[in-house]
Amino acid sequence: MSVALNIPQLETERLILRAPRAADFEPESVFYASDEARFLGGPQEASATWRTLAVMIGHWVLRGYGFWAVEDKASGAYLGRVGLWNPMGWREEEISWALMPYAQGRGFATEAAFAVRRHAYEVLGWQTAISQISVENEPSKALARRMGAQLETTYDVPDFGMMEVWRHLSPAAARKQDAEAAA
Amino acid sequence: MTVTIPTLETERLNLRAPSLEDFPALCAFYDSERAHFVGGQMDREKVWRHLALEAGHWNLMGYGRWTVVEKETGKPCGMVGLWNPEGWPEAEIGWDLFDGFGGKGYATEAALAARSYAYDVLGWQTAISLVAPDNHPSRKVAQRMGAKQDGIFSHVRFGDVEIWRHMAPADIADGGMESYA
Repeated sequence: MSVALNIPQLETERLILRAPRAADFEPESVFYASDEARFLGGPQEASATWRTLAVMIGHWVLRGYGFWAVEDKASGAYLGRVGLWNPMGWREEEISWALMPYAQGRGFATEAAFAVRRHAYEVLGWQTAISQISVENEPSKALARRMGAQLETTYDVPDFGMMEVWRHLSPAAARKQDAEAAA
Repeated sequence: MTVTIPTLETERLNLRAPSLEDFPALCAFYDSERAHFVGGQMDREKVWRHLALEAGHWNLMGYGRWTVVEKETGKPCGMVGLWNPEGWPEAEIGWDLFDGFGGKGYATEAALAARSYAYDVLGWQTAISLVAPDNHPSRKVAQRMGAKQDGIFSHVRFGDVEIWRHMAPADIADGGMESYA
């Protein structure tokens, strides 16, 4: 007997959401070594980033969902990650995104986050979801607003600082928003 | 991605993929004195992430540590296997036994199966084990396997640990498939 891990691949207009893999370590370690990672518990050294990546993959094994790597369909370039996060002790089930600095400003995070919200509600049957966003992370807050999420509370998270909790649309409201976007 | 985690079998033990059912046993281990040798005690949230790390290591490296299960009782009795995260000095055969399972030769039995897997299946040409200087039972396992001390590694969290160099594949007389088949 043996155990295999199967992470579903999602596709959007411009993106492939696929299982994280060893090759993603290089761009993630560059990102996590920089000040850009300050909203995500960084900066941190390469060995810690490797473990972060391994924990992200292991999260799939333990929960059946987790982070996808976001890949540019056209070029195959690694753009960052987006996913569903709920390790033990987490506040509640979360939709999360973190794009590499070079991939920001083109709507990729929005495109990926909508696909992941759909997966959470339509495939996994979640009834609600939050996103936790650093109070200083304006682009990320703008994305939450575009998704129709509402600011619910602000609290202090060890290693991350002051975080805002954004409550996502209900499954029914999200379905409506998806349908309007497709129309 | 589909990384397959094989199951190994020895005389008294099964080595299988780490899974969520191991969480209580791991929490007990990392809450015990035994955790002193592996970076110290961890709360449940850290242990959960550590379990995820064990699973993720398999997917990033194609190998990792197995949960060791005592055949007779079906109880998880330790984590043994192949470990080489970023920043590690080189590929390691590692063993942690849970409370109550020491002194039975389980670590050696499982580590020999892991070594055979590394050499015969993965094609490793060498392997090390890291042993905390005051972890005498662990040093004995390395010695029983024929490993020799080969320097010191300064671990960021664990401090200075001894590097034990395992026998080369060619020097193992009986290292065939039968040892874990």
